[in-house]
Amino acid sequence: MAAETELDPVIHAPARLRIAVTLATLRDEDSLSFSRLQELLGLTAGNLITHLRKLEDAGYVTTVKAGRGVTSRTSVRLSPQGRRALDSYTAVLRQLLDSASTNGTSPH
Amino acid sequence: MLEDQDMSVREAAAFAQDARARARKELVISTPLVYMAWGMVWLIGYGAMWLSVRGQHPYTGPSGVAIAAVFVLAGFAIAAVLVIAHKAVAGIDGQSVRHRRIIGSTWAIGYLILLIVAPAVSSSVSTRTLAFISFAGPVALVGLTYILAAALGRYWSALALGVWLVIVGTSCAWLAPATILATCALGGGGTFLLMAVIETRLRAHGS
Repeated sequence: MAAETELDPVIHAPARLRIAVTLATLRDEDSLSFSRLQELLGLTAGNLITHLRKLEDAGYVTTVKAGRGVTSRTSVRLSPQGRRALDSYTAVLRQLLDSASTNGTSPH
Repeated sequence: MLEDQDMSVREAAAFAQDARARARKELVISTPLVYMAWGMVWLIGYGAMWLSVRGQHPYTGPSGVAIAAVFVLAGFAIAAVLVIAHKAVAGIDGQSVRHRRIIGSTWAIGYLILLIVAPAVSSSVSTRTLAFISFAGPVALVGLTYILAAALGRYWSALALGVWLVIVGTSCAWLAPATILATCALGGGGTFLLMAVIETRLRAHGS
């Protein structure tokens, strides 16, 4: 299972993987509101903030706050670095699955 | 299951696939549905007008019922497309939103110009020219709008549709009014329905 360590640990967590994949569906310059992302993923606000912070610390997402008070809106966008990281994560994942099926082993 | 926990490679692949499918379903405008809506409007609308002018000697134009049916159908299609688009793009901000506004405004202004120009020139041009402006004009306009959308958003499948619709609309310049309506019904509406099938298959293949 040495190859599994090649998977980016920042993305290799269920919630962060889903956040990254969801944001990657948007076009390069687009962002998604925090509330819509929360609704799509079914996470609590606190949980989503925690995972977004980890992704942001790695430079994979950028959050932008616009407006003030009740009209304030937080948007989240996958950075170019985050998009590249997700692409390489997906490639490694595919390689691991392929090699497991070739060797007849279970990729756990 | 969504906490920061370990997951196997197989679980990760399943999570990614599930999230991708859900995000595409929720955040991407369903082009097959949009194509289907406009395909039905054009096929039925232009088809109804063609049936009402078929065999007219001399040509006097489509019946009021057929024209009213077109406007009612178009109203339903516009409402359906707006609902589909609004649901998909809720919460999204950025360049693609600005592009959609440009595309929508171009289409709306173009239609408004056609709605103003056609009645204004009706008494000074031949019935054939008026039929070309009124019936083929919208097809060419939608074609140009799709070419604009392709250029702005790199939606390359829309480019083929746009170019084809411009060709269909322009070719009507050489046709008689009844033939223009049949050409728009089949070449415009039929193409939209075909594109709906192609896009559905491409999406199923790509997911």
